[in-house]
Amino acid sequence: MITAILSTFVMWCLMQGAVPFAAQIAVSLATGIIFLVFGRHDHNDVLTIDMLARRSRFAAENAALKVWGTLLLLVLCVCSQSLWPPVVLFVILAALSTGVGGTSLHAYVSLFRLLAVFLLLSGLALLWDFSHMPIGIWNIPCFGGYLTMTAAAQASARLVLARSLGAVSCLYFLSLSTPMPEILAVLRKAHVPSVVIELAILIYRYIFILLSTYRNRRDAAASRLGFGSLRQSMRTMGCLYGNLLASSFKKAGACFDAMESRCYTGEIRFLSKKKPVTIFGAVLFGVLLVGTAVLVALID
Amino acid sequence: MREIICFDHVSYAYEKGQDALSDVSVSIHEGEKIAVLGNNGAGKSTFFLLANGVLCPQKGRILFSGSAVGKKEKELNRLRRGVGLVFQDPDEQLLAGTVEEEISFGPMNLLLEEADVRRRVDQSIDMLRLESLRDRAPQYLSGGEKKRVSIADVLAMEPEMLLLDEPTSSLDPANTKRLEQTLNMLNAKGLALVVATHHVDFAWRWAERVLVFHAGRLVADASTKNVFADQALLQKCNLEQPILYQVGKALGLASLPRTVEEFIAGVKGKQ
Repeated sequence: MITAILSTFVMWCLMQGAVPFAAQIAVSLATGIIFLVFGRHDHNDVLTIDMLARRSRFAAENAALKVWGTLLLLVLCVCSQSLWPPVVLFVILAALSTGVGGTSLHAYVSLFRLLAVFLLLSGLALLWDFSHMPIGIWNIPCFGGYLTMTAAAQASARLVLARSLGAVSCLYFLSLSTPMPEILAVLRKAHVPSVVIELAILIYRYIFILLSTYRNRRDAAASRLGFGSLRQSMRTMGCLYGNLLASSFKKAGACFDAMESRCYTGEIRFLSKKKPVTIFGAVLFGVLLVGTAVLVALID
Repeated sequence: MREIICFDHVSYAYEKGQDALSDVSVSIHEGEKIAVLGNNGAGKSTFFLLANGVLCPQKGRILFSGSAVGKKEKELNRLRRGVGLVFQDPDEQLLAGTVEEEISFGPMNLLLEEADVRRRVDQSIDMLRLESLRDRAPQYLSGGEKKRVSIADVLAMEPEMLLLDEPTSSLDPANTKRLEQTLNMLNAKGLALVVATHHVDFAWRWAERVLVFHAGRLVADASTKNVFADQALLQKCNLEQPILYQVGKALGLASLPRTVEEFIAGVKGKQ
């Protein structure tokens, strides 16, 4: 609900004085309604992303192509001096993720919601300023001065938000099409320090264990009415997190034993499945990259 | 039969003065089917961790293929390679993003050629019928499937002996039956199997030899028949006689039945 209101307001501000009134109302309301209808919050987002990535139709494509391809797209997005290339890229990537990749629109929007709040709040901070004089295109009297939104602030907010939107859609395209272990394998090949990769592998693996331990304990506490009142809830949560820490330590010891028992010598290595670059993948990224580059160059 | 591993007066304590395992001497040979019984905290898991080289004996020594295993990483890895350990909770063991990668972890640690690793992974997948799960993520598998993957994990290291810590504890009857078939198949290939369990019925049906631990000591090492005939021992270790054993005894059957089929045949024979 908050995201919906916030997004409607920010869109309204961004378009103030730049588009016909009817279009301003239509686009602002549409953004809010999309978040309202599709953006239901879900606490299992980590699991959702992982699951969606494994089910995506792009999952069979070569991971290195996807990682480096989206990274280049992201760079192009951030370098763009106009708001249109990132916006066009966002629309295309969102359409690819949902239409071709098979991620449902609901899942896509609800994942976007997480970052949207952050982006929108930054957008507000960029747009609005406090001034003693009504210097902006929109001025609201407030405490003897004015909350103002200047045309310059509006232009820079549009660009910043468009770039972020494009960049986020690039990263979502990658994470909704490539399971985490494959991304890590690509980074390992790129000579990212192995300690970073191994930590990431372990964190990725144990998120699931921690999450399931947490759920079991929370349900066990709930079944004994541990969340009856606010006071009780606070107490229960405290105990639960403390307990989770203790059991994590214990589990970590057991997991290390299990690794040692299979001759672990200080480096985690797996046999990776070979996914060759397909013609479809090469053409897709070729078109995306060339198209975006041309668009960025032309509009500049 | 060739001896694989031998415990020579081995003791181990997690805390000083409190032996988790004290003065254990036992030797295990090729192709044996051994059940390890004992209540919680009797020392079964410590015995397994020692046999696998995760822990080192504080007193006594462990011999693998006739030669003593030192405390150096290289020697311990020789033991870990030859004696596979399947942990009770598969979640402690599973690590990778897909089943195939998961099974490759052990062979990769042995620094083998990629073709050899691939061969071993394929062989393990084939042996435990995991082909349909090959590209799945281990964290989304069911309990029975996770257990099969954790066994495949260890098999890919081509051990001579397999230790399984309470493999049936979280399995439903269908998966337990399947596991038993897997164990028999592995044994038929000449692998020595040592299974820690609380199920006396399973031990009676499956094992040829039983080790009983009590308060850190190995109190019995005998044939399944002899262990379950020893009432005083069972009482001391809070164990019970298997149902079929008791029924067979009560009906005065000539040979005590190990399976329901044997029981029916025995009863028919008597009539």
